[in-house]
Parts: sequence; C-alpha cells; structure tokens
Amino acid sequence: MKLHVNGTETFISTGGRDFDASANTLIFIHGSGQSHLSFMLQGRFFANRGWSVLAPDMPAHGLSSGTPLTSIAQMADWHIALMDELGVKTANIIGHSQGGLIALDLAARYPDRVTGLSLVACALAIPVNDALLDMAKNREPAAIGAMTDWGHGPDGHAHDHTMPGQNHLNYGVQMMSANETGALYADLQACVDYTDGPTAAAQIKCPTQVIVATRDKMTPIKFGLKLADALGTTDITTIQNAGHMLPSERPTEVNRAIRPFFAQV
Amino acid sequence: MTGDFKFDTLSLHAGFTPDARHGSAAVPIHQTTSYAFQDTEHAAALFNLEVGGHIYSRISNPTVAVLEQRVAALDGGIGAVATSSGMAALFLTVMALCSAGDHIVSSSQMYGANVNLFQHTLSRYGITTTFVAPNDPQAFADAIQPNTKMVFGEVIGNPGMDILDVPAIGKIANDAGVPLVIDATFNTPYLLKPLHNGANIVIHSLTKWMGGHGIALGGAIVDGGNFDWGQNDRFPTLTSPHFGFQGVNLYEEYGPAAFITRVRTEGMYNVGPCMSPTNAFHLIQGIETLGLRMERHMANTAKMLDFLTNHEGISWVKHPTLPDHPDHEVAKRLMPKGAGSVIACGIKGGRDAGRAFIENVQVATHLANVGDAKTLVIHPGSTTHSHITPEAMVAAGLTDDLLRISVGLEDFDDIKSDFKQALRAASKVGA
Repeated sequence: MKLHVNGTETFISTGGRDFDASANTLIFIHGSGQSHLSFMLQGRFFANRGWSVLAPDMPAHGLSSGTPLTSIAQMADWHIALMDELGVKTANIIGHSQGGLIALDLAARYPDRVTGLSLVACALAIPVNDALLDMAKNREPAAIGAMTDWGHGPDGHAHDHTMPGQNHLNYGVQMMSANETGALYADLQACVDYTDGPTAAAQIKCPTQVIVATRDKMTPIKFGLKLADALGTTDITTIQNAGHMLPSERPTEVNRAIRPFFAQV
Repeated sequence: MTGDFKFDTLSLHAGFTPDARHGSAAVPIHQTTSYAFQDTEHAAALFNLEVGGHIYSRISNPTVAVLEQRVAALDGGIGAVATSSGMAALFLTVMALCSAGDHIVSSSQMYGANVNLFQHTLSRYGITTTFVAPNDPQAFADAIQPNTKMVFGEVIGNPGMDILDVPAIGKIANDAGVPLVIDATFNTPYLLKPLHNGANIVIHSLTKWMGGHGIALGGAIVDGGNFDWGQNDRFPTLTSPHFGFQGVNLYEEYGPAAFITRVRTEGMYNVGPCMSPTNAFHLIQGIETLGLRMERHMANTAKMLDFLTNHEGISWVKHPTLPDHPDHEVAKRLMPKGAGSVIACGIKGGRDAGRAFIENVQVATHLANVGDAKTLVIHPGSTTHSHITPEAMVAAGLTDDLLRISVGLEDFDDIKSDFKQALRAASKVGA
C-alpha cells in the first residue's frame, strides 16, 4: 500500500494482506541500500499467520519517493511517523543490519511504542570502511557489487536459492540498483555516524532477541553476540554457515526463530 | 559486478549444493512428480508463495532448479525458468507480457519457428508483430507502438547470421518503456551476455550449444531483473493483482523477480511445458564443459572458414567474423571471442550439388539441429525453412545453394578431409 509519511509518498508491503491496525503488528526495517524486498520471504509468511505486516521502503528506497534520510535517529523517527499515520500504537520490530540500529534507537527512545525487538545480523555499531563509503559516494554500482558480494554467504555464492531458479547475488544487485542514487551513501554514512548503540541497548526494556550468522562478513558474529550481551538477552539464534543477508538466504531458519519469539511477546 | 566465480567455475558448480543427508557429489535426478508436504501449514505456505520449495514437477523440480540456477548465474540473471524446449521458452515469455490487442516488434531474420509463432500463431490470439531488419535500429524505434510489450531478436540470426546490435536496440526499447527480449541460443553466455549489454530477458534453446550433446531438448527463460515494470501502465500482468495467490502484486512483492515469478506462476501452472528432471540432468552435464566446448567450437570455426573461403567448390561464405559480412564490425565489438559456430556457404552447382554434398559427408551428420559437439550439415531451403513462403525465403537470405554448417569439436583434420571428399563428389554432380 502507499501512503504519505512526513509528506513523502511511501510504499509499504503488507505481505499481500490488508493491513489491520488492531492486529499484532510486525514492522520489518530494511538495511543499508536495501528495501522491503529483503523481507520477501518474511512478509507473506507472517501476514498469513495472523500478524499485521508492515515492511516499508524508507524514502528514496524501493517504491518510495523522497530524499534519503541521513541519520539513524531520523530513520527511527520516520518509522514512528509511519506508525502514527497508520494508527499503530505499539508494534514488534524486526531490524536487519542497519535496520537493527534503527530498531535499537527507536526502542530506546520510544519505549512505549515497541513491544518486542528482533535484531537480525546486527551489532551495537556498524562501522563502514572508507573505501566502501567512497565507492558508495562516487561509484555506487561498485559499492552495490561489493556489498552484494560481502553480504552473501555460501548459499548466495553457490547460486543456490530456496526459491527454485532464483539467484541471490544478481537479485541483490538489481534490488539495490532500483533505489535512488545517493540512498546507499546516506545509509552508510548514517551507520558510520551512529555511536549510541551501547547507550540505547542499556535503555531497552522490552523483550529482545538476536539472530546471528557464522559467516557474516559485514556484522561478524562476535559483534552480534556483544549486542545480545548489551541487551541482556539470552534469546540468541546462531545460523550456521550463513552470511549477512539472512532474511533472504536463510528464510526458514529466520522465520523459525522470529515466530515463537513474537508469539509470546 | 559482484565478486562472483568465473565462467568455467560457474559452469561446473553454480546452483548446486550437495545435500546434507546423502552428500551426492553429482546433481541427483529427482525423478518424481510430487513432493511430500511436512504438514498442512507447509503445504499452504508453498501454495501461497510464502516459502521456497517444490509442490509438483510441472511447476518446479530440484534437479531442474539446479539447471535454472546455473543458467541464471552464467547469464547474470536474477532467476530462470527451464522449459521443455526453446520454443516453449519464447511462448511463455510472450504469454507473461502480452494479451490480446498487444504488439511485438521483432527482427525479421530469425529461426523459422520463431517467425511462425509471431506471424501465424500469436496473431490468431490478437497479438500482432511488426518485423524489421535486425541491422536497422531506427526501424525498431519506428515500429514501437503504445501497445508494444516487447522487442525481440536473435543475437546471431538463424540462418542468415545477421548480428543484432543488442546495446543499441536495448536502448531504443528501454527508452520507449519496453523490454528487450533476446534469443541467445547461438551465442550462449560464453560469447555474449545480453543481460549485461542492454537486454532485459534472455531465452535459450538449451538443446543446442548449452547442452552440446544433442541428447536432451530444453529451453530456459532468464530474467535480468533490470527492467522497471512499474514505470508505465503497459504491464498489467506484472503490476496488477495476480489472478491467483491471494491476488499477489508481483511487482510489489517480488520486485526485480516479478517477470520470472509470473512465468512460473502462470506459464508453468496453466500451460505446463516443463522440463523433465532427466533432461535437466543431461543438460547440466553439458553445461559443465560449455566454456571448453565453445573455445573449441570457435577454433574449429576459424579453421573451417579458412578452408571454405579457399575452396574452389564454394562460391561464397557467410559468417560474422569475415570482414565482408555486413555486420562484421558489430560482431567484433559484441563478441570478440567469436560469433558462433554456424557457417552459411554457397556450393557451386546449386541445389543438386548441395544435395550431393550432404549425402556424401561421412563425419558430419545431416540433421535439423545446430550446436552439437558433432559437426552438422543441412540444406535449409529443403528442410528447416521448407515451410516458409518463397518471398519470405528471399527476405531471409535463403538461396538454393545455401549450406548451413554447424561446426563441431572433432579433430579438424578429419572434418576437412570429409568436406574435401564430399565437395569432390558434389562437383561431379554439379558440373
């Protein structure tokens, strides 16, 4: 569905079901340079199991208009504005990668709006090396190529997909290329600038879970486990032999971890 | 580009991970029609497109999926669907994009069955085609109408070997808001990856060079994922609610994979030209050596061109790597490794000499196919194009003396000897 958030036309995938604000809401927040499509194999799954699903494209991403947001706090505020627009008082949040930082910040600053938090392939901070940042700014296709490469684990590089016939790496490149030019750089710079992770984690009171991958090159597992430690959660799912793009590469394991967690929240 | 494996590595490995239970090193043949569901929820999830997996082998099959993933990786696509033949691949592509009242712009220099599908079959269902010369980009631009849903051509036209300037035609099509669909059978991704050169969808007859052995029919549709189906209102099959799957909007829910998902969820569901698992297995074995074979095909083709152009029994030779070919410069730019292994030539003595040549070859085989590991010869005017009208034959550049040679992988000395003796026999008939 499309609606205006802060005056910008915004696309929100609802997993193929009409959105119902009175139902238990799951908000999926995408990562740097991604879109709602990174949750292609979560949206319909959860929408058909009783949850109201919201997987928005942030401004300048996917099918949304506008200019990119430039800080994690702005992005968190934007998601609150989206909830307000839809009349969603509280929601469960799933954040992938940078989306996890946004979720962390959102849950810390708006504790009354978040009932549960699932952080997938995330960390307390996501530093970005200068070379990638430079590429994102000046040679975006190269940055997209590099991130697609580093972001995928053995399944992606074996060109093996749970959806018969599909291809992770090439899909990832096309999905990221569909965003507005400059969106990726803005996202990565926002990650670089965000240093409030430890503080935010200490403030969070709602139930949390962390899902990590053993072959994650972008948010290595040790940083995911530090995040879990800072959150004080023992709900940790470690997915073996998987890369950073967990929601698309290992949808079954991710959904299997998320579902019982939010069922009891 | 991604830090992907290189071509020969992808040819051997892409799309397959040994299963945890058995660890089969070779791709297993999943010779089954159906798949046991874990429970009712799992079944419902599969039918609702919530999870990946297999329901029924008309729609997908684990062995066929390995082939699809391998071809998609080699072509640089976001996904592929394998079909029972190359013609099925073309038909399902048209079906996913076009409805009655829609229009196609197509190269006029193509495989006869492609021409017939557009000209005679699709027209009965209200889909019309404007045919234009493949080497006239402006003609493509002029022919595009508001109801045009695809521009189509073969990289290397069959049998005239006209070369389509894929980047130029791709730009024309995309500027008009229309995807470029390419039949890449004659080039294979070894010689040219159309999806990296301005095309949006690629179809293959895998029966030819991709398989290479001539033992299994098959086709494939590869989606580049690089066309924005929502940029205009031309493509309701992809941007409006699907008739099934709870009215899923493929463009919104699958993004770059909207087209290939439509092919599977309509083409395979409702028409069903599926590939058998055994054929997929055979084609996978062929693709494992695609790079090596294409290298040899190109080497033997170069030797054959040298032989034919210097033989007194041959009046003319046509191949895009020859400087006198009208599309030579385009071929050199797009396919520096070679422009395919099919050669057209004219035998002195016309139809009778051609027949005598074909009936005297011993190493080469006379049949209606191309792209085998073995050298193949045919006389198109009396076989593959016999059903095309005389006017269309002339338009396609066919003449009575035309021989089509698909150069194989044999030791070239043996092919040369064979051709020498057959040409000698033909010269006696034609004299």
